[in-house]
Amino acid sequence: MQKLTLLCLLSSIIGLLLIYYAALMLKPMRLRLDEIDLELVGRKVATTGYIIYRRNHVAGHVFLIISNRRAKIEVPIFSDLASKLKNVRELKVGRKVFVSGVVDYYKGRLQIIPRKPEDVRLIR
Amino acid sequence: MIELIFFCLAGVASGIVFGLVPGTHINNLLPLILSFSLIFPSAHALATFIVALSIAQTLVSYIPSVFLGAPNEETALSVLPGHRLLLAGRGYEAIKLTVLASLFSILLTLALVAILSNHFVWLYEVSRPYIQYPILAVILFMAISEHKPSKISFALFIILLSGAFGVVVLGSSLVPQKHVLFPVLAGMFGVSTLLISLKEKSRIPEQIADDTLKIHRTVFLKSITLGSVFGILVGFLPAIGVSQAATIAQYLGSMGEARAFLATLASINLANEVFSLNSLYLVGNPRSGASVAIQRILPELNFFDVLLLTGATCFSSGISSLAALWLGKRIPRYLAMVNYTYMNLAIILFITLLVLFLTGIFGILTLFVATSVGLLCIQLGVRRSNCMGTLLIPSLLFFTGLNPTILSFLGI
Repeated sequence: MQKLTLLCLLSSIIGLLLIYYAALMLKPMRLRLDEIDLELVGRKVATTGYIIYRRNHVAGHVFLIISNRRAKIEVPIFSDLASKLKNVRELKVGRKVFVSGVVDYYKGRLQIIPRKPEDVRLIR
Repeated sequence: MIELIFFCLAGVASGIVFGLVPGTHINNLLPLILSFSLIFPSAHALATFIVALSIAQTLVSYIPSVFLGAPNEETALSVLPGHRLLLAGRGYEAIKLTVLASLFSILLTLALVAILSNHFVWLYEVSRPYIQYPILAVILFMAISEHKPSKISFALFIILLSGAFGVVVLGSSLVPQKHVLFPVLAGMFGVSTLLISLKEKSRIPEQIADDTLKIHRTVFLKSITLGSVFGILVGFLPAIGVSQAATIAQYLGSMGEARAFLATLASINLANEVFSLNSLYLVGNPRSGASVAIQRILPELNFFDVLLLTGATCFSSGISSLAALWLGKRIPRYLAMVNYTYMNLAIILFITLLVLFLTGIFGILTLFVATSVGLLCIQLGVRRSNCMGTLLIPSLLFFTGLNPTILSFLGI
């Protein structure tokens, strides 16, 4: 193998490991629900709120709206994640939840998109 | 009316400038444009400006991609088709070919979209649950199309390596998601090419400035027809990029030549752009950065808005084509006067500073890894489109429902 090929291979793998390590260390921003705005689109945040609306989609998705009285935000839980959530049935209107995920802007509304089971937890 | 024409022309002018700057993409400019939205008198003026900018930038961006980062003759085959024509002194022909293919493709795509408009929603909903299969087929096709067993294994390695890179970079929010593709694509396809060009101390050979196109009419028509159909398909299928679609279209059409590849690539690019703009109205889902912005500006898009944006597309493509041809003839003369090595160095510096400005220190780390993967691909002598594993593998995981499990396992 040529020296340059080996160098490229090594820098790819070491760089990838560095990025992975940095991603592991990166914690989502803990924010109040009303602090989440368009500036945060694409960023990972964590927040809490009360479920004020729940809709089940035929494809298995669960759509929540959570609120802290000052603001509300949509939390779409797609079927692949919903099927892995143990307490998905308990996500009922009135319950308080912790949600972590990436902020997105869809059809004129802000959303937090959780991506793994630990991202949605009921607060008792 | 005059106001809309003015903003359309302003969009074209901005698109030409940004199209000539290597590494810039409309997706990186949109946050800036949207932050200046108050200077636009109406939502339609802003939407027209964005459409014109997006079309002009796509058409003019072939100029830097053909004339910059040229390799030498030995490595040209593992680099990019436009550079093969540049090395043969046919850089202007490459530009003319992409411009003509784009123009024909716009007309053909608009006709196809008009004919099939009633079927897109149905097709979109039916295809959605099975989208992982075409993505998997494209991954396998990309590897197998390398032919030799050693190359197939190298291609698979690059796809998996770039896929792992994509899962980590796109799965975490180290780099703001709205800019994350900039360091990834600039590294894999831009900086790596420029570095190889620097290493080989390349220079642009003398260019032949005649107007002839050395492509058979039938091959050209076949390229733009396949390109337009594949451009619409690319709009439907997430993660499948223009270059993978062009490679598949080439195989289906049995066209293995650089000119046919460029014509197909340009047709797919513009067809995808046109379809993406129409997708908002047709399937209610934006399929490109520009259409996401338009959805934000015109949330209740109606048929007359679509007609206006289609008009802006045709108008801006005509003017941008003339500008691309004019610049394509003159730019090689100026490039012959400047030191190619210094210019490549300046462009690498510019891209690095832009990445730092838009994405911070993690963006620079991402650019470094992406460049290393791009260079590795060149060194292993396999097609650079294999680097698109960065988008294909995360999309495959998403559509197979494995994403939560993988992200949970990785802890990111």
